[in-house]
Amino acid sequence: MASKPPAPFQFPREYSFPPFFTPQTNLTTHHAQQTKWAALVLAYCRHYRIFRLSISPSPATASSQSAPPHDTSDLFHNKQLNRRLSPAHIRSVIDFLRKDGRAEYLDPKGSGDVAYVYWQTPEEWAGIIESWVEGTAQKGSVLTVYELVEGENTRGSEFWGMDRDVLIKALGVLVKRGKAQIFGQEDSLGVKFF
Amino acid sequence: MFLKHIDLTTALRPSYLPDEDLLFVQDNVGLYEGKYKLPNHQNGQVYLTSHRICYVDKAEPRKYSVALDLKDVERYEFYAGFLKSSAKITLIPKPTKRASVQPRSPALATGPSRNGSPSPAQRSDGAIRNSPVEPAPVSTATWVCTICTFSNPVPSNFDPTTANEHTPLPPCLACGIKPTLAHVLKAAISNATSRHPGTPTIQTPLPIRPRPLSELAEAQASASTTADPEASFQCPRCTFLNHPSLMSCEICGGPLISHDLPAELTQQPRANTESPGPFLSSRSSPPNRETPESVKISFRGGGEKIFYERLKNSTTQRKWLLQGAPPIPSSSRQAISSSDGVDSTPGSAVARERPKVGGIAGLERRDQARRKNNELVIGTAFEDLEALMASAKQIVALAETFARQVKGAGGSNASENALLAESVSQLGLIATKDIVGSSSSGRDSLYLSELARTLAEFLTDDSRGVLKKAGGIISLVDLWAMFNRARGGVELVSPADFEKAANLWEKLGLPVRLRTFKSGVMVVQGRDRTDDQTIKALLAWMKDLHEFPPEREVPWDWHMFGRGVTARDVAERFGWSIGVAEEELEMAEERGVLCREEGIEGLKFWENFIDTGEGKSYKDAATLESERLLKTLKDVGML
Repeated sequence: MASKPPAPFQFPREYSFPPFFTPQTNLTTHHAQQTKWAALVLAYCRHYRIFRLSISPSPATASSQSAPPHDTSDLFHNKQLNRRLSPAHIRSVIDFLRKDGRAEYLDPKGSGDVAYVYWQTPEEWAGIIESWVEGTAQKGSVLTVYELVEGENTRGSEFWGMDRDVLIKALGVLVKRGKAQIFGQEDSLGVKFF
Repeated sequence: MFLKHIDLTTALRPSYLPDEDLLFVQDNVGLYEGKYKLPNHQNGQVYLTSHRICYVDKAEPRKYSVALDLKDVERYEFYAGFLKSSAKITLIPKPTKRASVQPRSPALATGPSRNGSPSPAQRSDGAIRNSPVEPAPVSTATWVCTICTFSNPVPSNFDPTTANEHTPLPPCLACGIKPTLAHVLKAAISNATSRHPGTPTIQTPLPIRPRPLSELAEAQASASTTADPEASFQCPRCTFLNHPSLMSCEICGGPLISHDLPAELTQQPRANTESPGPFLSSRSSPPNRETPESVKISFRGGGEKIFYERLKNSTTQRKWLLQGAPPIPSSSRQAISSSDGVDSTPGSAVARERPKVGGIAGLERRDQARRKNNELVIGTAFEDLEALMASAKQIVALAETFARQVKGAGGSNASENALLAESVSQLGLIATKDIVGSSSSGRDSLYLSELARTLAEFLTDDSRGVLKKAGGIISLVDLWAMFNRARGGVELVSPADFEKAANLWEKLGLPVRLRTFKSGVMVVQGRDRTDDQTIKALLAWMKDLHEFPPEREVPWDWHMFGRGVTARDVAERFGWSIGVAEEELEMAEERGVLCREEGIEGLKFWENFIDTGEGKSYKDAATLESERLLKTLKDVGML
């Protein structure tokens, strides 16, 4: 991606609707609320290219050295309205996303504070990478993960600057499809595309 | 017409006249006119009030409800019922145009012993009155020997008024057994009565006039058991017309109707207790004063005895005479005081007599005099029960003025006091356990249905507007408290009875209904109010909030979203209680019309902008995806 998007995220109408931040008791309304929140989270993450979403208010996630975490505090906290979504409710939104395969907790037990948000699922990422490989005639060549994420060649492609873990998941999909092979050590992973 | 059509209240009960008191209610009764059943009047409730007897039909209450005024009732008779025939009370109307000469004087002339019958009204009177056949139109009196049934002449020197145990009585001419004094006495009296010219109707022993108790006792003392002096008895077995003195039929020996009437009241299934109904009807057109449209009330569900007792009392009291009567004068001084002390009494003539004193001194003096008089009125009223009854009207009026004063002083609970004052006059009209009779299906059900009706009346009464004041909906608990308060601390209704009665509204077709919210809160509202209407009203109000700016700055776009409302706001807006408002809001939320917002300001409800129909778009994306996939697959030719 060439530059940080200058335009701030355009929140949907509901974002300024105070009851939107209260868990609804009516099941139908609650479902509608969840879907809207899910859509909002995905749109927001896509807009700011957020791969890891922190549930706790502090956005600084410890170990992720990739992509400078965008301040996500305004996603669940409408400062203008002074309304915020409670952590429990956020978690329920994430769970709602998870059911669709659009999110995943970092900690596989599902208790962590940070979750991957798949505004593109690993499968979709795999497709994107695959078409990039084909488009750039890189079949048979070996690339490191670092090259894929931060290399000069991939600058401008969709997956440039993406989260390493998500990328590895996407590559894993490719491996399963028999289109790639991963080898190497922890920090110097290499991928060979077929 | 003896029976008049009546108006019913909203609760399908007779609307009472002023000062009318409900005395008794009994369900499962039917009406007869003469000997025939009145069509469409065979299953209903009968209301005995101090003024009337009202019949309210169960199936078609508005159409077939009738009443008759007690003042038009000449007399009433009791029939205890026999086998399948239920107990009945016959009401005989006063003759409309005929001379109101009471055939009482001859009866009295014959001797006081006649009046001594312990409960004359309970006699199966039809047999007595209309006997066209005199037993023996002889000039001299005869008595019938109880042993051999031979008719003996009463000795000419026998005077029923002076006779006592020591009067020598001749033995029977046939068998030689001496008769009892009572026996001969009866015979002599009946003979004297029957000889009296123009007295075919000797029904006057019936207590149409309330007799002082002392006289009654006196009369009772002077005579032993009394048979009716004249008329004959038809033997129920062989229809032979026996002399009334006989205890058993002359022909067949069957026992005749016992004149020991209290015993009859106990309703022993005696085979010989022939119903007076058929008896009356057999002489369908009596030549005398019998009005054809006598009305019978048939008590199929019991309760006739209490009804009879109360009817007797009310005809004795004759409250209808009091209607419009001036307040009972206790003493001239008191009369002055009452008219003076009680503001509601229009200025009386006495007021003029007061010496004129002007200015503050005059006002003070008047005030002092009024206070004194009030004191006097209250003091005398509570002296004894009698006096209290007599001055009840004054006391009620006083209570009302006090209530008004308290209202003026207190201010805050003015409405409650007004309610109290209002209710004083209503006290008499409330169904209590005491005034309802036994019911066919358990004693309580009639009480409950009456209570349900009373409640419905209480709720829909326009003058109080209980329901209206509460915005058309009131919680059951509030209603219970209000109702019991209105009863002024007497005959309070237990919560259990109250709830049961409220549950009966639906069944009785009354214009109010009980509704249970999902939280279990029970409310009362008009039958015509539905949830849809409530929601419509709520939404209309919410829409208004889009137009009118909120009182203070709000961070959201109120043109688009309006604003959130709390239960308090809604309660204020619609006049509901807060509990009700909460329930209604939650009901609307449950329907998806509203949504909630919990914040530091409390729970607020908003129009539902969350679920606006496009809420499915996200889900749709997934399905769309799969659809697209299927489509591409098809295009490719794999499917």
